[in-house]
Amino acid sequence: MMVPVRCFTCGNVVGEHWEEFKARAREGDEDPEAVLDDLGVERHCCRRMIVSHKDLVDIVSPYQ
Amino acid sequence: MAEEYDVEFIERGDRSARFLVRGVTPAFANGIRRAMIADVPTLSVDSVRVIENSSVMFDEQIAHRLGMVPLTTPEGEFEEGDVVTLSIDVKGPSTAYSGDLVSGDSVVEPADDNIPIIDLKDDQRLELEAEAVLDSGKSHAKHQGGVAVGYRHLQYVDVVGDAAEFEEQEPNILRGVIEERAAEHAEGNAVNGDLVPTEEFDNDLTNRYPGKEVEVNDVSNAFVFDVETDGSLTVEELVSRAVGSLEDRATELREAVQL
Repeated sequence: MMVPVRCFTCGNVVGEHWEEFKARAREGDEDPEAVLDDLGVERHCCRRMIVSHKDLVDIVSPYQ
Repeated sequence: MAEEYDVEFIERGDRSARFLVRGVTPAFANGIRRAMIADVPTLSVDSVRVIENSSVMFDEQIAHRLGMVPLTTPEGEFEEGDVVTLSIDVKGPSTAYSGDLVSGDSVVEPADDNIPIIDLKDDQRLELEAEAVLDSGKSHAKHQGGVAVGYRHLQYVDVVGDAAEFEEQEPNILRGVIEERAAEHAEGNAVNGDLVPTEEFDNDLTNRYPGKEVEVNDVSNAFVFDVETDGSLTVEELVSRAVGSLEDRATELREAVQL
């Protein structure tokens, strides 16, 4: 629903990078790989946390 | 341990560093690694009193997210079991961030201010009080200060001969840090005794020693540590507290077995 705060595998904090990643790579047209490198999300375990995330709050909120 | 050991930083930052330790046994190196992961206590939110939560997430989910937020943990201020209260009060439409947490103790605050906790829509509100306790990584991973802590042997490269002529050289991939001992065969201006992270030659020994047959060996009792922290303490604090906790336990053992 919301981005996980930490990487499931290594425990690195990844949540703080989501909003910038979303703005630059999902809504913007930058290359996700370059954005992750730029944000300092190095390991592939942390990268998949961000790459595979989808915000669902807007989708579930009407059904409260 | 009577003999001295030698520490040399290769990369040094607040939250991640790489350093070389000489003169320690593999067992002691692993002891430090384990102490960094499991024995250095950090503060983390452990229980939550929810006053109002009309967001789309359950109280438990929000409590879990708050638990994962790293909190700065100054040395010597707290003992295991101490409690610090934090509160948060955010009204929609907006997002509640870790930075919205108001701490009861000015030295304890979220290490990162922009971790989204929950997205709040119109008329939704999140108000709660959270209690952070000091505990070690042994009891819960949220109390782990070190992230991806590891070490490997320092290595050196021996040039044992020339590569076969007219034959394309296979890549020879190596990771870690090497101590230069064959500078006369290396590309660029290498000096014997240099510490070279393998990233410098794209992790491929054939880039550094072109046309040579090489053999990689471990330097005994020299370890290169890679340490990252979640922000609740700096790398230096993490390592010194880990070594301190090992020492405390060794002292305790010595006293316990004394006649």
